Amino acid sequence: MLDAGRHPNIEVLTNSELIELGGSAGNFRAKVWRRPRYVNEELCTGCGQCAEDCPVVVPNEFEVGMGARKAIYSPFAQAVPNTYIIDRENCLNSDFLVCNNCQKSCDRDAINYDDSGKVVDINVGAVIVATGFDVYDASAIPSYGYGLYHNVLTNMELERVLNATGPTQGHIVRPSDHKVPRKIAFIQCVGSRGEGKEAGCQYCSRFCCMNTVKDCLLIKQHAPDIEEVLVFYIDIRAAGKGFEDFYRRSQEMPELKYIRGRPSKILEDPETHDPIIFVEDGETGKVSRIKVDMAVLASGAVSAESNSRLADVLGIELDENGFFEIDTKYGSPLHTLREGVYVCGCAAGVNDISDSVAQGSGAAAEAERFATRLPEEKEPKEKKEIDTSGPPRVGVFLCHCGINIAGVLDIEALKEHAKSIPNVVHVEDNLFLCSDEGQRMVQERISEHKLNRVVAAACTPRTHEPIFRESCDQVGLNPYLFEMVNVRDQCSWVHTTTPDKATAKAKDLIKMGVARSKHLQPLYKNSIPVNQSVLVIGGGVAGMCAALELEAQGLKVYLIEKEGRLGGILNDLTRVYPANLSAFELSRALMEKVEASRIEATASTEINSIRGFVGNFDVATTNGNLKVGAIVIATGAHIYKPGDEFGYGQFDNVITNQELENILHDSRDKIKIKGETPETVVFVQCVGSRDPEKNSGCSRYCCPTTIKQAIRLRESGVNVAVLHRDMRTVGAQAEEQYRRARELGVKFIRYNDERLPEVFGDGGRARTVEILELALQRILQVDVDYVVLAAGMVPNEATTAKLHDILKVPRDADGFFMERHAKLGPVETTIEGVFVAGCVSGPKDIADSIAQGSAAAAKVASIICKETVELEPTTCTVDQSLCRACGQCVEICEYHGPSLVELADGRRAAKINQALCKGCGTCASWCPTGAIVALHFTDEQIDSMMEALLAGVV
Amino acid sequence: MTPRKRNDNGVLVLGGGITGIQAALDLANSRTKVYLVEKSPSLGGRMAQLDKTFPTMDCSI
Repeated sequence: MLDAGRHPNIEVLTNSELIELGGSAGNFRAKVWRRPRYVNEELCTGCGQCAEDCPVVVPNEFEVGMGARKAIYSPFAQAVPNTYIIDRENCLNSDFLVCNNCQKSCDRDAINYDDSGKVVDINVGAVIVATGFDVYDASAIPSYGYGLYHNVLTNMELERVLNATGPTQGHIVRPSDHKVPRKIAFIQCVGSRGEGKEAGCQYCSRFCCMNTVKDCLLIKQHAPDIEEVLVFYIDIRAAGKGFEDFYRRSQEMPELKYIRGRPSKILEDPETHDPIIFVEDGETGKVSRIKVDMAVLASGAVSAESNSRLADVLGIELDENGFFEIDTKYGSPLHTLREGVYVCGCAAGVNDISDSVAQGSGAAAEAERFATRLPEEKEPKEKKEIDTSGPPRVGVFLCHCGINIAGVLDIEALKEHAKSIPNVVHVEDNLFLCSDEGQRMVQERISEHKLNRVVAAACTPRTHEPIFRESCDQVGLNPYLFEMVNVRDQCSWVHTTTPDKATAKAKDLIKMGVARSKHLQPLYKNSIPVNQSVLVIGGGVAGMCAALELEAQGLKVYLIEKEGRLGGILNDLTRVYPANLSAFELSRALMEKVEASRIEATASTEINSIRGFVGNFDVATTNGNLKVGAIVIATGAHIYKPGDEFGYGQFDNVITNQELENILHDSRDKIKIKGETPETVVFVQCVGSRDPEKNSGCSRYCCPTTIKQAIRLRESGVNVAVLHRDMRTVGAQAEEQYRRARELGVKFIRYNDERLPEVFGDGGRARTVEILELALQRILQVDVDYVVLAAGMVPNEATTAKLHDILKVPRDADGFFMERHAKLGPVETTIEGVFVAGCVSGPKDIADSIAQGSAAAAKVASIICKETVELEPTTCTVDQSLCRACGQCVEICEYHGPSLVELADGRRAAKINQALCKGCGTCASWCPTGAIVALHFTDEQIDSMMEALLAGVV
Repeated sequence: MTPRKRNDNGVLVLGGGITGIQAALDLANSRTKVYLVEKSPSLGGRMAQLDKTFPTMDCSI
């Protein structure tokens, strides 16, 4: 957020909306209405004095109405921009009344009651629609009594209650009496997967299951004495990377019970205000009333109310659910019906964060086609750097992180302690150091107090160090003179129950941080030239899309495919859900585009070796050598090959969904499997998925695939039953297809982990399938002609293992490549210049793979559209006068950083390639002569921390 | 690299939530001018309202 606010190429227009869009792709003329803010953005410093003095108190929409704000306000503490705004509907100033309190209190004279807003004209090449969703209004279901009963909340309200900055500072209390609830119930699918008109939308909102799982775990953290948490659900849809493991972790929480069933109504005990839930247990059929202290409705996502107006302005259509309609002919989820207008995230349908992020990047790549690049900044502006030669002048900044830190640690004591440390010349605390205002404060203090070292005692450097470094850099303090102490994760979070000890530990950490900061040295980034070409490994749908996108941006693209032809998994499919596109047509269209482009595509080619680093990779393939600046891995995954589960291999008529797909491919009207028309086909879901022994994750594609195949079979008169654990029909149209399958008479029967279905047969043929019917607790026997196993997705072991060895991209527990961040960096890896797209990082369907292909292209473009790339200077270096060329560092380094070279005097010594070194320090700790120094973690720096900690102890 | 055709054009991104911000940053990092339009007074969208995100439990801001 702060990044976007600070980026020189981004102009942020908040409180604004598009009112007109003329022209066409490559040359749109947009009119944007900037609504009056009544506060001058240039003058307002976000000090908040105006809000202090404002007499009007109204409910705060950011706190979903649970907190209060003034009529002049900043939406939340870390808001970007942090300019205040007047809510004129509630402001006292009117034609007949004069309050003027805020105007009087503002010493910058930023308040302007006569602000009338303005219309700005902007010429753009493309438009990206990322306007998100609205939360379903739970009061539309009267039987749940939301808005009527005190202790029935929505998930969004709970989210704020759990938040340390929220209205209750993170303490879970129920609204009626502010007591800590002992028994909480979650009701899933509120407004989603509805059956009737008033029950909301038909589709699955996708995020609510996991959100509830997360909230259950957080409740346990916030209220350890909780007695019972009940989750009423239809299917738990943990269909995303790492989600199934997360769900499994929640099942280990003894207080948490998952109960299958959709409550019919909620009543309230008039005396205690306890909600009473009426529910039929989906497994036992037993109807019960359950009294709880608090009920939470997992409200789903609906299309934003503003969509219809925006669609008119944009000249595009909405689908039947009110989301922006996608042009399905590309198989991509990003194109609208108007050229040059792209849609991503929840504006086009429900998506979780990681898919939204990938789609955002993907839309960026698409939009690039119609945009012009700004000229490259040649020389960075000369900055005046703060002189660090004198004695250290350390500033210590303490962050409250709302109450995440200040709720446990004694901030005043920490401040006193910090002031007593030698060389500390300034100490200050702030509610949120990461806010715009907090960062500006740090910058001002650096100048005021001539600080030449900055220590922040706050949260984790993993997410926030870059923000601080950037702020230091902006005011001329070398960013590597900043030190971060994590007093949140390491003190206040883990020692919540012992605040005194947590504070003592924080004192030690601050002492150590200050000690280290004194020994920090300024470091400077080197830049190296970038080879402006890219290699895409894998010619499947994700790879082809990435390649096409990059080529369209004018970059040199090499695409290599191991098999004899491009197409990947599309070559094995018939139809692609949800739009029922022909897989053959889709892959042919992509292949033709690749053919017609300047992409150098070679089939039957494999990687032999890759050396080098971001901007400069040397690739050796079985078909010649390449030099590229970046690499996209899109080598896909394999379909799990069943062992002997469910009679596979033993009975001829037990086949996989992949084998069935081939049969459907060849069948025209009447479906024949091996020459016969089957009467009954039984599908078994989750074969090789959601199994901690084999593949712990959900493979995501198999439920919608089974539905697609089941409908096809059912339509030609076959009896179909689907045996499943949870039907996970997430994604566009999937739930609707599931409903259609049920309407057509496909039977869905649930099994659980304790009792898997069994297949019996003789003479090489399966005859019956036995399954425990959970509601009646009796064994059902189904005579079958065919059993279809919905096989999950597993890593393509040989390829993934080989590329892991070559490129060092880490793999996850199931063997897929690990992204930089599951949510925020879905196509990046920890290796700079190396990206992943499609199923190589975990199971995905075609649409998601296409979006990832485009997303990877956007990321590659941001590196190789520049002539140089900056290298992180926190690497290791060799003092060659001390090196005796033993070569141990060469052997030990995972990244091929060190090598032995001959010096001018004929001696041999180690040398570390700065571009390859990740700064892990393994070589430095191993080096027997101490010749290797980790630049940002020198012995001196580490020793100083130890000394600070042990001073007075030993 | 060859400078591309057409006018001196940027991209209009509607929506300042996580998706819009991601699109804007990727474009901006590829040296494209971005106009990020958000109807509410601040960036952040829904994600800023969340406490933590699953499954990594990272801070949402």
